[in-house]
Amino acid sequence: MTKRYCIFITALFCAFIGVFLAANAVSPDRTFSEMENRNLEQLPEVDFGTPEKLFRDGNFFNGEFMRDFETYTTDQFVGRDFWVGLKSSTERALGKKENNNVYFADQDTLITRFDQPDAGDVTDNLNYVNNFVKNVDIPVVFSLIPTQACIWADRLPEGAPNASQTDLLSQAQGAVSGATWADVYTPLMEHKDEDIFYRTDHHWTSLGAYYGYTGLAQALGYTPVPLSDYDATVRSTEFYGTVFSSSGVRWVRPDTITTYVPEDGITVVSHTYDNAGNPVEEPRELYVESFLSVKDKYSMFLGGNQSLGVVKNANNPDGPKLLILRDSYADSLVPFLTAHYSEIHLIDPRYYHLSVKDYVEQNGIDQALVLYSVPNFVTDQNLFWITR
Amino acid sequence: MVFSSLYFLFLYLPIVLLVYYITPLKWRNLWLLVVNLVFYGWGEPVYILLMIFTIVLDYFAGIIVYRCKARGNDRGARWAVGISLGLNLAILFFFKYWVLMATTLQGFGIMVPTFNLTLPIGISFYTFQTMTYPVDIYRGDAELPKNLVSFGTFVTLFPQLIAGPIIKYKELADQMNYRTHSPEQFASGVQVFTVGLAKKVLLANNIGQLWDAFLALPAEQLTVAGAWLGVVAFSFQLYFDFSGYSDMAVGLGRMLGFEFLRNFNYPYISKSVTEFWRRWHISLGSWFREYMYIPLGGNRVSKPRLYLNLFLVWAATGIWHGASWNFLIWGLYFAVLIILEKAFLGRLLEKLPAAVQHIYTLFLVLVSWAIFAVEDFTHMGVYLRSMFGMAPGGLTNDNVWYYFTSFLPMLIIAAVASTPLMTKLWKRLPVKAVKAALPVVLLAGLVFSTAYLVDATYNPFLYFRF
Repeated sequence: MTKRYCIFITALFCAFIGVFLAANAVSPDRTFSEMENRNLEQLPEVDFGTPEKLFRDGNFFNGEFMRDFETYTTDQFVGRDFWVGLKSSTERALGKKENNNVYFADQDTLITRFDQPDAGDVTDNLNYVNNFVKNVDIPVVFSLIPTQACIWADRLPEGAPNASQTDLLSQAQGAVSGATWADVYTPLMEHKDEDIFYRTDHHWTSLGAYYGYTGLAQALGYTPVPLSDYDATVRSTEFYGTVFSSSGVRWVRPDTITTYVPEDGITVVSHTYDNAGNPVEEPRELYVESFLSVKDKYSMFLGGNQSLGVVKNANNPDGPKLLILRDSYADSLVPFLTAHYSEIHLIDPRYYHLSVKDYVEQNGIDQALVLYSVPNFVTDQNLFWITR
Repeated sequence: MVFSSLYFLFLYLPIVLLVYYITPLKWRNLWLLVVNLVFYGWGEPVYILLMIFTIVLDYFAGIIVYRCKARGNDRGARWAVGISLGLNLAILFFFKYWVLMATTLQGFGIMVPTFNLTLPIGISFYTFQTMTYPVDIYRGDAELPKNLVSFGTFVTLFPQLIAGPIIKYKELADQMNYRTHSPEQFASGVQVFTVGLAKKVLLANNIGQLWDAFLALPAEQLTVAGAWLGVVAFSFQLYFDFSGYSDMAVGLGRMLGFEFLRNFNYPYISKSVTEFWRRWHISLGSWFREYMYIPLGGNRVSKPRLYLNLFLVWAATGIWHGASWNFLIWGLYFAVLIILEKAFLGRLLEKLPAAVQHIYTLFLVLVSWAIFAVEDFTHMGVYLRSMFGMAPGGLTNDNVWYYFTSFLPMLIIAAVASTPLMTKLWKRLPVKAVKAALPVVLLAGLVFSTAYLVDATYNPFLYFRF
């Protein structure tokens, strides 16, 4: 190797690390990653603390500043989405059948891995539901929604580790004796060849939610509207969901979002608090179309996460009032339920930390439904709030 | 701080190199000392004080040793060496092994506090490194350092601070005072560093996921095939993790004008356990030979004494690897094998076909990794029994097949990369082809490593425990 060639290699390496140093320094910091649907770490401020407290009140001498700074450099690295995509493509080229806990499944489907949950968490959460049932004087229906890893297991790579969701369904059915169990597994399984889940998102589609709605009918005591009575409306054909983001996979087709139920006569109000602690009523809609122009398109249903939402149907003022303790799968189910109720109250225990028992009494609720997807239910750490 | 991170590669390293090369020669050691301390204190800034204490203590111990020697006071020199070694070992013992001692004693009902100490990173490496200094001065193998900065830079030198290679003072003493910098050396450093980075990020981390899958399995799901697949994955992960890190150290050293000895020499192609240890973590083996085995008498002692010495050296080697009893067992396992090979097995092996020698060695090394990797004794028992055919989950199952097929290309790449094959082929290429291919290979290594690092929250570093 000549000296000139060695200078070239040296320069090449220095240029590579130098270019990214410069690019990271110049490129403006982002606050939010649409692709990852989360806030990105911002440049942390260093705080050396005070000598009186032996510097323990700062973030420097305990190493916290450095840890935040590391996250910051990774989060703000230039071309982050490109690198993540390059990694997943490389993994596929190397014969891997999963990336970042997402299986590359058949039929252009991305399925989040479902591993055996912590048995203690499962029994704890079932006990919370049990306590809730005992706490309130109204009939309670309990159901869990099996997800892609269960219903579409035949699309998974051969032999892929996959914990049994049906075992958890039977455990849940047996554990909460005071509530009426509703089986949504059977109708979903019967229609597994239809587009009942998104291929790139963890939620069920409106069609899947419809079959869920038929599975809940008997327990909730309504006669489901036949699917043929609705006109399907395609809302978006460009939906890339959460599993798409987390997988890093960039080679699958987008999903289509369809709705069935018309919005006429339906009002939605989200109840929150402002910074001063005063209650605020934020009007929403059954379908908030502005979300269709951003990445997080599933939030079109009821406008996304909310602590407490009330859906009223002016066309059915004498119907009963339903309370749903739920995760985001309920957002696309609610449109179907509106026909049978005058009011549907939605409580998300991740955000709603007041007494649910009081809420039931104060609002004249007639019926309650506890509805979660299996993966959310077995990992949820907020269900104890429903026992208050 | 670790090398295989974005802020090291794209922030720390360019700044260190830039300032280093625009600094006049005589100030370069001081700049290195400053950035070494930043590197070291990144995770636990408080331990910088411990580091400075060690540096000052050993620096003056060395001076005392030297002066006593110069005055012909051998007794005084020996005392100074002894006190310095004693204090270093005491610090190492306290920070690394106290928790293990305390919890073990608590198991016998003797209540002692554990103090909940976090392990200062690299303490096993830099303590061993500084301990060579008074000894080398005493033996007359090296001169005194020029000044405290020069010595401090030696102790904290960031390329090999936290994961070796363990460099003896006498190997580096001259380079601390005088070293050359050339594009040839820098370019060769770039190559070694990039290979090391790719080994760590693209091979070790990747195949480590396979091991994690089997380590996490509950005992009743372990199968014979799964146990073997898991331990093979671990053997690759550990080798590429550690040798990749050593390569990065050698490469970074060259970029700064230092030459370190290589730490690994394709250990998995060994034909005996004795040979394996001449090829695996060479700097550690050589440390124990020079500073423990030979002082204990080396080969020139009676047979029983020789075997006792070997047991002591291997017990120390084992427990050096981590504050957990399984590492002691692991070390003693090698003591037995090496004594057997010394006694008769080695001569017997040589008469057998090479394939048998390879299989013999790999089999014993894989078994050793199961002892090394599974700290919980109950689980280790289940795991070893599974490897020997008594698996609770039977011979194999669909999941093992899934993991095997998923990782097959990675396993083949790792197996090839464990042998000198690619290096040999590379050296056979005509110079023109090498010149054309080298920039492409380097850039590919850097680009793919960057992609994996950006993606990775998965970047555990195995040797932090050491």
